[in-house]
Amino acid sequence: MEMKRNTTKLLWLLMFFFDIVPLSYEKSMRERAIELMQDARLIDGHNDFVLQLRILYQNRISRVNLRELNKTHTNLVKLQAGYVGAQFWSVYVLCSAQNKDAVRLTLEQIDVVKRMCNSYEELELVTTSQGISESRRIACLIGIEGGHSIDSSLATLRMYYDLGVRYMTLTHSCNTPWSESSSKGIHNFYPNVIGLTPFGQEVVKEMNRLGMLIDLSHTSYSTAKAALSISKAPVIFSHSSAFSICNHSRNVPDDILQQLKKKKGIIMVTFNADVLACGRKVVNISTLADHFDHVKKIAGSESIGIGGDYDGVARFPEGLEDVSKYPSLIEELLRRGWNETELKGVLRENFLRVFREVENVQNISGVMDIGESETLQEVQNSCRLDLRNPRLEPARSFAFPSVAQPFSLTLVSCLVLYYES
Amino acid sequence: MRERAIELMQDARLIDGHNDFVLQLRILYQNRISRVNLRELNKTHTNLVKLQAGYVGAQFWSVYVLCSAQNKDAVRLTLEQIDVVKRMCNSYEELELVTTSQGDARSCKRICENVIAGGISESRRIACLIGIEGGHSIDSSLATLRMYYDLGVRYMTLTHSCNTPWSESSSKGIHNFYPNVIGLTPFGQEVVKEMNRLGMLIDLSHTSYSTAKAALSISKAPVIFSHSSAFSICNHSRNVPDDILQQLKKKKGIIMVTFNADVLACGRKVVNISTLADHFDHVKKIAGSESIGIGGDYDGVARFPEGLEDVSKYPSLIEELLRRGWNETELKGVLRENFLRVFREVE
Repeated sequence: MEMKRNTTKLLWLLMFFFDIVPLSYEKSMRERAIELMQDARLIDGHNDFVLQLRILYQNRISRVNLRELNKTHTNLVKLQAGYVGAQFWSVYVLCSAQNKDAVRLTLEQIDVVKRMCNSYEELELVTTSQGISESRRIACLIGIEGGHSIDSSLATLRMYYDLGVRYMTLTHSCNTPWSESSSKGIHNFYPNVIGLTPFGQEVVKEMNRLGMLIDLSHTSYSTAKAALSISKAPVIFSHSSAFSICNHSRNVPDDILQQLKKKKGIIMVTFNADVLACGRKVVNISTLADHFDHVKKIAGSESIGIGGDYDGVARFPEGLEDVSKYPSLIEELLRRGWNETELKGVLRENFLRVFREVENVQNISGVMDIGESETLQEVQNSCRLDLRNPRLEPARSFAFPSVAQPFSLTLVSCLVLYYES
Repeated sequence: MRERAIELMQDARLIDGHNDFVLQLRILYQNRISRVNLRELNKTHTNLVKLQAGYVGAQFWSVYVLCSAQNKDAVRLTLEQIDVVKRMCNSYEELELVTTSQGDARSCKRICENVIAGGISESRRIACLIGIEGGHSIDSSLATLRMYYDLGVRYMTLTHSCNTPWSESSSKGIHNFYPNVIGLTPFGQEVVKEMNRLGMLIDLSHTSYSTAKAALSISKAPVIFSHSSAFSICNHSRNVPDDILQQLKKKKGIIMVTFNADVLACGRKVVNISTLADHFDHVKKIAGSESIGIGGDYDGVARFPEGLEDVSKYPSLIEELLRRGWNETELKGVLRENFLRVFREVE
């Protein structure tokens, strides 16, 4: 009788014990994730909040409280809750602006980033790896999304660099005259371009010389392979996931992952539900973590980073609905056995390594190698002044003949109306 | 007199308000300057050796793009011209890009990457500055204006020879853009205010009198004419009439008298240093010598006075002014001090 009672007590104690222990075990995963992130805040590779500011507010941000905005995945309070230490803000402009006013629109987006990061004390614009390392605020960096923003002009690329841009995604969802996108058929620009043209190779070389990161998200496999092979510095995918897990054209196949590893680059795995789960209904943190596990297997954890693509796409995994949720991902990876060193790498160290190496390549490049190529033949269009036949006139400005065009028509066709993307 | 001129200029090297050499680099070399020796180029009024011979201490390089590019690719073309200035000034040790009146990084209010924070006052080389010529370069976008400032641009001529949607040019009928714009529209006034806020000099050369008067009245900072002369001496639409000169003096601005023979001599056959000096004398009479500077417009126009054929000849002008009784303080003002005063006030 006593033994039975003791056994029962023991059983109760054991049940009690097993009730508590799993709880504290899980709490400590969450806590571990948070402690880790406090120590090693995230550097996120891609966020389109700035595009949303144009769509929602026409870039009139002085009237908006960016801390508590609730129409977007991103606001400053959420970024802090998500332990984001540095964010690449995308200054994307629509592909439809190609050959029209893409340059001006890009300058306007860069201007929004600068105004935003100057207006809030929790933000600061940085342009170097050291800047990121030393920042105690949320470091703002600028990334151009799509080569159409340079309008086939290396000088424009250089001026973007001077303005603080530190990566360029070679294509968005349209081909440029010099690089091929992974998106077929959305736009009909330059359908015959495969991979990188000779001018495209000049762009890559110039980016190496400048110290600008080359981003291969959205590019075709030909483009990615060409860039990986030509670039003297490591390259990045700012927001792409694993093709083996989900065979979406935005994802990176294993052979390219291997090339990336060889060249010590980084793939910043992205959270877009559509590229994670290939049509499966349930997309959750586990789905995303599968991508991380796969890339680790193929390319090693040192090749991995994070590029959420918040405010750039509509669907996110359950549990990762906005930029405050990053710790949940880290928690899941801890649960799957990732150790802290690997996770610090994923959160920031891998990216910093790549950025430093890109800065190194810049430092050893010479002034005399500046790219002066042009690609005039392929790009002449009605929104470009034709400079090919200058005539000197005695009038004030050595004027090229000013062609009497129906300028109002040209005016309308050279501007782009912005629609919600 | 010649020696006095040279001693004066050694001490107070010229700050010239306007030079279109960079446009020539596009026309002649498609901006491929790595193949060109800019020291000894002989197809242009300007080369580095001549600038030094002319005692030029600072030069505003115009990054003009044709009016015909308005509403097309003016922005990209402007970026390309800015890029040429930067490459040029980085490639030659006798040049250096500056963006302030003195070496004070705080004057660069926004983040100015890759721009040397040295100033005109401190520079021992030839200081390079950047000026945009024509509001069409901003494509009606204040953000673009701000980005130009971040790239180092320190003045903008509100119009070239075409109206913008927001400002009126002095040139009627050359181009047919926005013929109904008079002076400055409300947006044009915003542009002026934004330039004040940024610390960018407002240049009124090429603008209509309405535009000039409006800008003079709205601007909180002194304004400039980077390359214009006196309407009273020669009634060309590019020149400045006496009433505007008086308004300029009140607002402590500066007119950088220009050397374009066509605006100096109104069709007279002989145009020489004396013709130009007449303009200087007149402006001094109306607005005082403290309102005067020099903006040669070399490589921007074809005809120059005899004796002033290229950028090495500036001392001849100073010599003539000395001969006419200008004293050294006045001339140092004309050469650089007046401009520095205006620039500091704008900052």
